[in-house]
Amino acid sequence: MNIARKRHMRNAGILTLLVVFILPLIPYAISAVLTPPAGSTEADVQVPNPSTVLWQDVRQRGVEITGKTQVQGVDTGVLINKTGEEWRKYRMEILVPYGAYLMGGILALIFLFYLVRGSLKIPGGLSGKKILRFTLNERMVHWFTVLIFWLLGVTGLILLYGRMVLIPLLGPAGFSITASASKEMHNLIGPLFLFAMLALIITFIKDNFYSSGDMKWLFKAGGLLGGHVSAGRFNAGEKIWFWIASIFGLALCITGLILDFAILGQGREVMALSHVIHSISAIVMISISFGHIYLGTAGMQGSFSSMANGYVDENWAKAHHDRWYEQVKNAKSKDIPVQKGGVATSGVADSRKSD
Amino acid sequence: MARMKFYCDAERCIECNGCVTACKNANDVPWGVNRRRVVTIKDGVPGERSLSVACMHCSDAPCSVVCPVDCFYTTKDGVVLHNKDICIGCGYCFYACPFGAPQFPTGAAFGSRGKMDKCTFCAGGPEENFSSEERKKYGSNRLAEGKLPLCAEMCATKALLAGDADVLSDIYRKRVINRGASVLNWGVAYQNAGLRVSQGKAGKASSSD
Repeated sequence: MNIARKRHMRNAGILTLLVVFILPLIPYAISAVLTPPAGSTEADVQVPNPSTVLWQDVRQRGVEITGKTQVQGVDTGVLINKTGEEWRKYRMEILVPYGAYLMGGILALIFLFYLVRGSLKIPGGLSGKKILRFTLNERMVHWFTVLIFWLLGVTGLILLYGRMVLIPLLGPAGFSITASASKEMHNLIGPLFLFAMLALIITFIKDNFYSSGDMKWLFKAGGLLGGHVSAGRFNAGEKIWFWIASIFGLALCITGLILDFAILGQGREVMALSHVIHSISAIVMISISFGHIYLGTAGMQGSFSSMANGYVDENWAKAHHDRWYEQVKNAKSKDIPVQKGGVATSGVADSRKSD
Repeated sequence: MARMKFYCDAERCIECNGCVTACKNANDVPWGVNRRRVVTIKDGVPGERSLSVACMHCSDAPCSVVCPVDCFYTTKDGVVLHNKDICIGCGYCFYACPFGAPQFPTGAAFGSRGKMDKCTFCAGGPEENFSSEERKKYGSNRLAEGKLPLCAEMCATKALLAGDADVLSDIYRKRVINRGASVLNWGVAYQNAGLRVSQGKAGKASSSD
């Protein structure tokens, strides 16, 4: 009895001790069970190769690491330029082929359109009466932009396609002189395009905002599907061209300045991205300008004179810009009679300003 | 023919910039142009490594592909060179190069780029070997003298190696095996190093086992 009681008390004491010491350890045990054992066997020990870590850092995989170097300059601490290969692929596999397809395709479409429809004649023929469409100031801004745009466009296209097209014709040394002159001209004249673009936007923006008839004009494709569509001074197509030229033109200017002045501290990634935006904008503008040039010259009877001497035929204005024609006629009837012949006078120029 | 390559062993490079100095001296590189540079990654923290980098003379050289005037050519030794008479200094090779090798003198107005300059593997240019024109435009032509680029020749720790790719990869393979990395488990380094020490093989390449 006594021995049994002592044994019982001893067991109770051990149990109490176990509870006191082990109970607080239970949360640790649970967490140990839930998390997988680390380094339980020797085969699982993963010591990362210092070289592996190094090359991951060098290739900038997942982390942006810039090293230090004694060589002073932009990006000299970067061992691997990640964007170089992407830029190469963009230029060689996208820009060169698809740029050619786009420009060539639009030229082909225009030629096909010319074969099918021919030059769009003025309904009713020339009336002989002329009205002023573009003032001297507007024409000067237009032709200044044209001059800069094509100097830059041609020199830019020489740099883009000269290797494929001109080296076989001129030889490496001959093309080098051509390309060098193109590059210098592109870089020197480039900044002028900003002034041309700003002048163009300021001069023409007031007549290029959306007006009520524009959607109708677009749905009827500007009258190409038949029937007459009315338009103001500029139709919806001209307005879209204005806004595309403005937006892509300003993008060309900004990215062009980034590329031109390589001393501003910009790195390769910024310049490569600028080149992507620059080239896409340029190809789009050149492609659409083909259509603009076609409609301004061979594509439409009587339209070139508006940019040459500023005057258009009265019947041309009635056919293509009837609402503008009404405005001009109303303004003129108050002012002076419609000019005949096409000599610009200050009175007519003033009448354009007043509408 | 040989396929010339540089190899820089990051485990050996001590960032002494001796290769940079040697390159400048061998090629009379103008001020502001650095054909070679040493870049230190994780400077001052554990895992710090340095690498000497210049033109890597790629087999499929991006500079050559994007050049608008096609001025690059690869010699029969696999060295990528360019013709400065053809180069127009547009900078496209600099955008495309993964290593930042192309350099441009920027003395002209508004920082416009001069003709590109880069590591020639001390192999001169398209001009006649050892001509004064070649020396003036491209620097030394040590390869024609039967010598390797001075940067690698000068490297005190033999971190920077230059030569035929077969020879270089052989040297490096021996170094890697000596360090105990397994080709089957290359993410794990030095795992057999202790074993090799216990077998008395430390410091010996496998081929000499």
